[in-house]
Amino acid sequence: MDFALTEQQEFFKKVIVDTVDKMVAPKAQEIDEKDEFPWELWKEFTGLGYLGLRYPEEIGGMNADKIMCMTFYEEIARGSVGFAQSVIMNILMGTYFIYRFGNDSIKERCLYPAMRGEKIATMCFTEDQSGSDLGATRTTAVKDGNGWRINGTKMWITNGPICDFCTVLATTDPSKGLKGLNFFLVEKGTPGFSSGQVLNKLGCRGTVTGELVFDNVWVPDENFLGDELGKGVIYVGDILDEVRLMTGAMALGIAKGAYNEGLEFAKKRVAFGQPIGNYQLIREKFADMDTLMNAARLMIYHGAWMLENGMDSRLIAAEAKMFATEVCLKVVDEVTRIYGANAFAYEYTPQRYFRDARFLLYGGGTHEVLKDFIGRTIIGKL
Amino acid sequence: MNILVFIKQVADTEARILIKGDNRSLEIENKYNLNFFDEFAVEEAIRFKGKVKDSKISVCTYGGKKAVEALRTAIAMGADQAYLIDNTDLDTDDPLITAKILAGFAKKEGFDLILCGRQAIDDENGNIGAMVAEFLKIPHVTAITKLDVVDEKKIIVENDIEGGKETKEVQLPALLTTQKGINEPRVPLITGVMKAMKANIPVIDPVTLGLAKESLDRNASKIKILSYETPKGRPPVKIIDGETPEEKVKKLIKLLREEAKVL
Repeated sequence: MDFALTEQQEFFKKVIVDTVDKMVAPKAQEIDEKDEFPWELWKEFTGLGYLGLRYPEEIGGMNADKIMCMTFYEEIARGSVGFAQSVIMNILMGTYFIYRFGNDSIKERCLYPAMRGEKIATMCFTEDQSGSDLGATRTTAVKDGNGWRINGTKMWITNGPICDFCTVLATTDPSKGLKGLNFFLVEKGTPGFSSGQVLNKLGCRGTVTGELVFDNVWVPDENFLGDELGKGVIYVGDILDEVRLMTGAMALGIAKGAYNEGLEFAKKRVAFGQPIGNYQLIREKFADMDTLMNAARLMIYHGAWMLENGMDSRLIAAEAKMFATEVCLKVVDEVTRIYGANAFAYEYTPQRYFRDARFLLYGGGTHEVLKDFIGRTIIGKL
Repeated sequence: MNILVFIKQVADTEARILIKGDNRSLEIENKYNLNFFDEFAVEEAIRFKGKVKDSKISVCTYGGKKAVEALRTAIAMGADQAYLIDNTDLDTDDPLITAKILAGFAKKEGFDLILCGRQAIDDENGNIGAMVAEFLKIPHVTAITKLDVVDEKKIIVENDIEGGKETKEVQLPALLTTQKGINEPRVPLITGVMKAMKANIPVIDPVTLGLAKESLDRNASKIKILSYETPKGRPPVKIIDGETPEEKVKKLIKLLREEAKVL
């Protein structure tokens, strides 16, 4: 067994930690307070080239392995999860399908500009009545001439209101349930495609999240993203483990950010004549938090290693996402206790971590759905 | 032009540092950075290269294997090549020895300009640059805040002096140490990071630089660290009792006068 990062991975981690510390973390509080997309930071950060993280060097990417990707997701979320969500959407879900299935023209129009940060990408799964339950998708795509006509409304779409293009999940045959699902590319400016309600969220503020409306939107055949009809749900499965591990890595990042601030506070805050970090009950909190975060880290990076090595990572990815998110909730809660009443004030940071952590409960599958999946996978149908 | 940049990897300012039982060595948490002042040197070298055609930047450090990370950081920023002079088993307390080694490297490698930070933020010695320049018998200016190229033989530099600035013309080859304010070190682009990750960094045995091994080890040091001690901890907080605010203020003023002696 070897748990060590390679020298290159170690170096990459150092670079991304420094970059996030310099560029992202100092803006986190302001991003949260304004709850507006940080265009200036977007331009500055994406100008460094990180959006091509997982794509091959030949097309301007970095070809980063899964360990490095998780390191990136963890660290940028530590800096600002509101910003991280938008960045990661461009890196992973928002461009995955066009990279895999898009023709040259689509790649020129959408993928490469998205890798440079010039276009904002997103992916639309969720609807007002369906999230984890993809089989209940009501958005339809009907064959119409040399293309497809899409109708429906998507909800909770990260980057949705500001996206330049989106990969939309729609059913081409509602009678087939999951086997009727397919992906289509829809670009900004296509008649009938518009942004609806922008959500006012509890956490992850700064990421613009909202509704996307597809009202009789027609797209040409080349915008169908897949090898053949009906395989959409299989493609979801191909990316799901990475998305779940990524969500876990983001949870770990939030936890680490909160923990670091809690640690500083415990060293400096004096009560009854000494720093509160001298008190056993505060020390116990750090012992618990560190233990839990180490366990979550091992799960996430073990999962990433399995994924990188082509092993079946379905269980570990679901478990790691669930565990890391629960750990994150525990850590942000403890940090608010360490801060005492200060944690209740908007001018201090713990309340931000506390709110942000909640959002990761839902992305990548709710824990109720994940537990059912894990249990079902272990026991099978009796 | 050949530009050499000497750098040092130092403990992160937030790294946990403990004094070992012998009181003469330190246990440092595994968090290291490229020295704060050396970042300015690397950045200035990159800017200088942009002004003078056919320039090449080589970065070098005398340190342990771990220091490769700091060298890679310099490559990610824009340096062309990096060298590690391996100090395994040769760690010295005496900056004079380090300066001899770096000067030996400079002679072997060849140079037109040498840059390094004004001091390392760990030991705060601030004398390596001057000593290297002396060994190489070249001019040097400490703590520059501006560097302009006149031609391939001449540069103009500025440095802060008490209450003002001093501008100097310097003949090349020369050694300059960089001060905060000279530039804003860049955040590396991903292309630089990738180049740095793949870079082959030669490891040099210091004895190949024309220096006898016995002149390099700890026993050759003319300066030896005798002990370390931590700064005094913050005194305990005194809570002032009193029935009324007026009474508390009176007690506070008394303490500030008599105990703290600040009034």
